[in-house]
Amino acid sequence: MDAAATPETPAIETVRLTKRYGRRPVVRDLSFRVAPGEVYALVGPNGAGKTTVIRLVAGLAFPTEGTVRMLGENPHERPSVRRKLGAVVEAPAAFYPYLSGRRNLRLHARLAGGVPPGRIAEVLERMELTGAADRPVGIYSLGMRQRLGVAAALLTRPAVLVLDEPASGMDPLSLHLVHRVLREAAEEGTAVLLSTHHLEEVVSYCHRVGLLEEGVLIDTVDLRDRGIRYRVRVSDAAATVAMLRTQPWVREARLRGEHVVVALADDVGAPRLAAALVTAGIDLTELSRDVFDLRAHYRERLTAERVRRTATDALTVDAPLGRAGRGAGRDGGGPA
Amino acid sequence: MIALLRMELAKLGRLSSVRFGLVVLALFPWLWAYAPGVFDVYGFFIVSGFQVPALSLLSSMAFLLPLLVAIAAAELLGLEIQHGTLPTVLLRPVTRSQWLLAKVLVASAIPFLGLAWFLIASLAAGVSFGFGPFVGGTGLGREGLLGVGLLVPAEAWSELLRAYLVAAYALVPIALLAVLFAVLFMNAAAGALATLATLIVMELLVVFPGLMPYLLTSQLSAYVVPHADLGWVVALIAFYCAAFAAAAVIVFERKDF
Repeated sequence: MDAAATPETPAIETVRLTKRYGRRPVVRDLSFRVAPGEVYALVGPNGAGKTTVIRLVAGLAFPTEGTVRMLGENPHERPSVRRKLGAVVEAPAAFYPYLSGRRNLRLHARLAGGVPPGRIAEVLERMELTGAADRPVGIYSLGMRQRLGVAAALLTRPAVLVLDEPASGMDPLSLHLVHRVLREAAEEGTAVLLSTHHLEEVVSYCHRVGLLEEGVLIDTVDLRDRGIRYRVRVSDAAATVAMLRTQPWVREARLRGEHVVVALADDVGAPRLAAALVTAGIDLTELSRDVFDLRAHYRERLTAERVRRTATDALTVDAPLGRAGRGAGRDGGGPA
Repeated sequence: MIALLRMELAKLGRLSSVRFGLVVLALFPWLWAYAPGVFDVYGFFIVSGFQVPALSLLSSMAFLLPLLVAIAAAELLGLEIQHGTLPTVLLRPVTRSQWLLAKVLVASAIPFLGLAWFLIASLAAGVSFGFGPFVGGTGLGREGLLGVGLLVPAEAWSELLRAYLVAAYALVPIALLAVLFAVLFMNAAAGALATLATLIVMELLVVFPGLMPYLLTSQLSAYVVPHADLGWVVALIAFYCAAFAAAAVIVFERKDF
């Protein structure tokens, strides 16, 4: 359960969301909220249920239990709320291949009830597709189709963006472009929910990351709580840590390998840190932003969850075996 | 809804089954008009261009036209499945029933558009026989191809248009059944095959004479039913159409994508 509540109506809210196909649960008891202007990334291994969550939130699939609300409305009961939704739910994004990128977007605009004049050209330019806009989508590369997908999602200036693997199959430049556009959309107040495997990229602008494993939200990492951290390489790391811990403007200083990781108070920047180290006579050879190692955290939490589950499974398997053992004993004792 | 309908109609020309069907329907009347064995099968020689459309309809209504209509209607949905555009459309503020209703209306238009094309191709194939008054019948009025004496062009046109209109109407439930199966299976080929299988099973129900008047397949010869008896046929076909369309919408409303 996600504890972060906002005073305003959440852009996306799921409450005890469960989806089963037949008897097989794909998503279990999932609750989370995404506030306007917030970027929430769902990460997890293949088959964790990310795509199902995206489709449930977008209103393409029906929950078996629980509810999904978009801007306070159930998208199944009030399809008109989708006027405020931009979404890419396929990777690569699906378009009519015989139509040009521009005509596909025109079709989207018509389905959405119209967009202001010039908006199509604007999103095409933003996604760097102006040159290819009049070519049939059928000849687009995978990355171009994905960018067109994001362009289509942005078309109506949505209040909510829901994207399944938006950067799948992209080259590094396109990848950077898509993440930049998503960050800008969030800065303009759009709530962004995305599923991704690109942990390094999302950590630089995501506000929260939900770790999904076998349909269960096993952890939510609030990256905003982590503040700005710096990583320094110095001549004497231990002495540096000791010195920094005495400074009132240092929230945290600790050793990580050969580096010292430092969290500063909100109104303090890197120049103050560098000046303090130099003044203390510490030989500073490197100072850089320390990005949270989401990959390591992800690996650690996933391993812990799997160990916990294996232990639980072993316990549940042992119990019937015990009963079977007792039964076998009784059976064995009978006819003999 | 009008915008949706226009979009869906525009997609018709992109369907490979529609393109193939148009070619087949354009060639078919020429084969029959000039086939050497027409006399052996029907016991008459073509004497008027008005008889070619009748002959085309008589020989295709039992299997070819239902087949082409079922495949085209199923592909109407199959196109979206093939391109993966179904979720893309459903993410827009269009209700599922609105979107499927547009598909249903376009599927219903397929038999009318197809038969209009078929009539034009048949008339073109019959040009060499002329379209003046002739002794005999169009094959679609009283006494079939033999007729009841001299038939003037106005009467012949009226018989042809009425028969083609009724035939197209009788094919609409087949189109909608194909849409229903395509929605159920989310697969165009399965939708078309299931429709054909259903029609074949209905044909086999000839062993239940009491059922015959109510079967979909029995209505395929409605274009030769006398005017006075058409009311019942029209009502029954309308019932089938409504039932298949409603079932398709209900199933589609609850589908996960």
